[in-house]
Amino acid sequence: MKLGLHTFLLRATSLVTVAALAVTACTSPVTPGGSTAPSAQAGPVTGGTVTIPITADPTLNPWSPNAFVESLFINRVLFDGLTKPGKDLAPAPDLAESWTTASDGLSWTFKLRSGVKWSDGKPFSADDVAFTFNDIIKKPDLGAQSAANYSAVKSVTVVDANTVRFDLSRKFAALPSFLAYNAGIVPKHILSADPLKTTTFNKGIPVSTGPFKVEKYTSGQSVALVRNENYFGPKPYLDKIVFTVVADPNTQIAQALSGDLQIMILDNKAAVERIKTAAGLTVVSRPLVQYYWLSLNQTDSRFTDVRVRQAFVHAIDRASIIKTVELGYGSIANSPITPALAAYYDPSLASKYPYDPAKATELLKAAGWTPGAGGVLQKDGKPFQFTMDVGQRGVLEPVNALIQQDLKKVGVVVDLNTMEWNSYIQKDVVRREYTATVNWWTYPSDPDVFPYYHSSAAGKGFNIPGYQDPKLDDLLVQGQSTSDLEARKAVYKQLQQYTSEVLPYLFLWYPQEIDVLTTSLKGVPELGLRDAMHYIGEWWLAPK
Amino acid sequence: MVVGPEVARFLFQRIALGALVIVFASALTFFFVNLAPGGPSSIMRFDATPEQREALIKRMGLDKPVTERYADWALGAVRGDLGTSLLTDEPVTQRIGERLPNTLTLAGAALTLSIALGIPIGLIQALRRGSAVDHVLSLLSAVGLSVPVFWLGIVLILLFAVTLRVLPSAGVTGIATDTLVDRLQHLVLPAAVLATSVLPTIARFMRSAAIEVLHDDYIRTARSKGLAPRVVVSRHVLRNALIPVVSAIGALVPRVLGGTVVTEAVFSWPGMGRLALEAAQGRDYPLITGITVVAAAIAVATTVLVDLAYTRIDPRVRLA
Amino acid sequence: MTRLGLAALAVLAAMALVVVAGPLVWTIPPEATNPAQSLAAPSAAHPLGADELGRDVLSRLIHGGRVTLLVGVAAMLAALSIGVVVGAIAGFNGGWLDALLMRFTDGMLAVPAFFFILVVITVAGTGVGTLVLVIGALSWMPVARVVYGETLRWKTAEFVVAAVSLGVPAPRLLLRHILPQAIPSLVVSATLGVAFAILTESALSYLAFGVQPPLPSWGNMLQRAQQYVFTAPALALYPGLAITVVVLAFNFLGDGLRDALDPRRRR
Repeated sequence: MKLGLHTFLLRATSLVTVAALAVTACTSPVTPGGSTAPSAQAGPVTGGTVTIPITADPTLNPWSPNAFVESLFINRVLFDGLTKPGKDLAPAPDLAESWTTASDGLSWTFKLRSGVKWSDGKPFSADDVAFTFNDIIKKPDLGAQSAANYSAVKSVTVVDANTVRFDLSRKFAALPSFLAYNAGIVPKHILSADPLKTTTFNKGIPVSTGPFKVEKYTSGQSVALVRNENYFGPKPYLDKIVFTVVADPNTQIAQALSGDLQIMILDNKAAVERIKTAAGLTVVSRPLVQYYWLSLNQTDSRFTDVRVRQAFVHAIDRASIIKTVELGYGSIANSPITPALAAYYDPSLASKYPYDPAKATELLKAAGWTPGAGGVLQKDGKPFQFTMDVGQRGVLEPVNALIQQDLKKVGVVVDLNTMEWNSYIQKDVVRREYTATVNWWTYPSDPDVFPYYHSSAAGKGFNIPGYQDPKLDDLLVQGQSTSDLEARKAVYKQLQQYTSEVLPYLFLWYPQEIDVLTTSLKGVPELGLRDAMHYIGEWWLAPK
Repeated sequence: MVVGPEVARFLFQRIALGALVIVFASALTFFFVNLAPGGPSSIMRFDATPEQREALIKRMGLDKPVTERYADWALGAVRGDLGTSLLTDEPVTQRIGERLPNTLTLAGAALTLSIALGIPIGLIQALRRGSAVDHVLSLLSAVGLSVPVFWLGIVLILLFAVTLRVLPSAGVTGIATDTLVDRLQHLVLPAAVLATSVLPTIARFMRSAAIEVLHDDYIRTARSKGLAPRVVVSRHVLRNALIPVVSAIGALVPRVLGGTVVTEAVFSWPGMGRLALEAAQGRDYPLITGITVVAAAIAVATTVLVDLAYTRIDPRVRLA
Repeated sequence: MTRLGLAALAVLAAMALVVVAGPLVWTIPPEATNPAQSLAAPSAAHPLGADELGRDVLSRLIHGGRVTLLVGVAAMLAALSIGVVVGAIAGFNGGWLDALLMRFTDGMLAVPAFFFILVVITVAGTGVGTLVLVIGALSWMPVARVVYGETLRWKTAEFVVAAVSLGVPAPRLLLRHILPQAIPSLVVSATLGVAFAILTESALSYLAFGVQPPLPSWGNMLQRAQQYVFTAPALALYPGLAITVVVLAFNFLGDGLRDALDPRRRR
């Protein structure tokens, strides 16, 4: 970061220095995977530092329950998984070269890349994979995060030093996709004593396999990464990656505007117009595997009538929400499968529920809700009134304010109860003591949404509304059992149609991510920034 | 300075009281935070399953009664072990140790700035009482006390960091430029913002104390004896007026420490205040208790030090 | 009272009139959204423009002022009640109770209140009632000291001693004879207390520990507006100015009252 009076005056000079450094650096070794282009040409060059903001100190262990969202970026750079999200989001080879499923669908075999070394020089092997799954994820008393994603995995068997077999308790077609999603393999030779609580690893300098390794961890300030000389893949172009801890989104913007950050997710979308006017910054939008929803607790008899749920979707002006809260970066959702999963997404559903208060009133009337005193809907003498709990996070608060006003227009009275996030999770998620609430799901790049919809998860797992429907259950199981792409597409198309009809959750919108990057930063694939981290070896800085 | 029996007794009293305050603060915080809804963030993850939550509660020992946990914690605390952070598994003393120097730097800079400017400003106001200068400075003091700190912080960031680009907006150092100059540049805005809540108070105290002193008989005598005004001011007015001001500064230390919470949040300053916020939101019971204890200990220690300084500059105490 | 004090009083009276009577004149509800008017510039319909959800900023300022001033005054009253009780009991009783209560007061003064506020609000949850109690519970100490001092001072006054000899019971004595003497100092403390409470409310709202939306307060308006500082800085300007002006007025009023009520200050 260069700021302050004298550097301000000397800005031009320092740019020259950076350029000179880049030029000297690229004259030395031949960069594998790219050309050692002379600086006049537009090819990738070696050298330079990229600084990326994160909101809090990361935990450098993908399985630690304390590895929150701020840890995702860096852990995806450090810890390779067996697979990684491909540029089309389908699983691509990483530590595994290839994989096959058994004919009964009850096991997957992964052929590992040979000659891979950990950053401390020790060889990587099938034992590390077995350790990560058998001794961390499948040990319930450790409480490893995302362990629930692998509930179908019974155990991982080492076939030989370069082959592992995942034995399953039921068919699990999405396994390779799930292994690309925050499922980094961690070293057995370091973590066997205490896999999740080794602080010299989690908060210090972990041993990893990725293209960069940790150089220095400064609590509350930054984590600096340098090239991992033992990396199996092509040598990365960048010299250094610095993750700097900047909690406040406005400060991140100020730093991006002053040129201190090279790439970031713009959490505060309201500032996008300001960023667009800044010289040297590029703004791009990326689809996410994420959707916002409104959950109506199915233990409340008012919400078990599908007409009421459909009426609500007609009554909520989702286009306006996207426009005002997301600044237009998003699209209307009518199913859990997002446009980012292009192979599966069914675009024909997008216009299924237009904003139509009259239609909403009609549907509510059909369900027995008629206007009473002051225009408030009544049924059996009781007004249609309930409380929505609002967690203090992201855009939830303005979204709820808009929904409240939209529902008011059709005679439904909503009281908002804004709560601190931690208390909110306890009340609404752990205890399920809620009537209605808005939130979002992010999931691996595969349409297998079983955990969020299956009736076995109602009331305790991720099935937040507690919706139970044998037909939907059947579709979810079919999807898990089908490995053939075309057959899966057909199943999930049916699932999208059905969920949009019965509305287990009221689908709101698919958000897009806004990424801001320095114009000189090249080679970043067109993926959400978290997924793009898997390709950080391909990033490079153009000399100015 | 001769430490007479009275001073020693006084000191002992203050330290005993301080210890009591710390014990009280720790118990209050520990039990209170444990009453808070929710739990450590790792348990209150949206994407945690019920089984995972149960496993973590057991692993963190949160299934034990709170009295037992406080007893364990207090036993450790006596030996200087403030427990283990629930969110990072690191010792609480280490986590606080990493952040405390930053907070002390910020609070120290703000306090130094306030004293260095506040005392001369108050003195000038007293000497020029009723003049335009006095009125303008009074007005500025009042505005300083009335502006919401975080709002001022945001305005200053917009002005100096975004528009003029002369000062950095966040952190203690640059990413690749950890030099003294760089650190000082990073300190300017947060220290100035934090100082706005104390500088005016010090100036006001100094002003009224100096006015009182100027009216005292012996100053009039000194003046009438023809002592040069500069000598009168430096030898008599300043010294006597400082007595109440020093005790006021002692009373301001808790305010400065409390003020770091908001200032650190605005400027992404990696200090104890921000840690406290994270610990409270993340329900890191041992960490938040540890921070309260450390903050209380600092405040108590400062009060004792200020009382000592008081005995030093107060001629009556020196005579005793 | 000084001219400045009177001016401050006038400003506060005007403010009070606006937040009390304002909603009768300016009837747009503060929570009414209108996405089409998102971040609209000032116009006849919205004299101060509209916020990100198209809500009328003027109406939100008026209603937010109600909440903020209410929190300020109520928290001050809470602090005043606690402080008077503690100070009077300690001063009048003397002995060990005096020592205990005043050492407790010292202890509370020595602890950085803000850390405690965070803890307490985490426990009690965020609500206007909690906010009032928490701010009150952590700002009564100066009041207690004032009352304590006054009680000690007047305890030995002739008319009090006479009343004691006549057998007037202690609570009555305190209420009828001693506390009235402390009123001037209390009025000053109370005025400054409101200023402190308003600033604390806004700081807590900034950290999202304060008044919760959709109920507007100047503090939480500022918190939301912060997101728009790059594109609509006026949204942060209005509530920030409102807080500054009101707090400044309370501070000036307090100073003015002190000068007017405390003869020693008038030299």
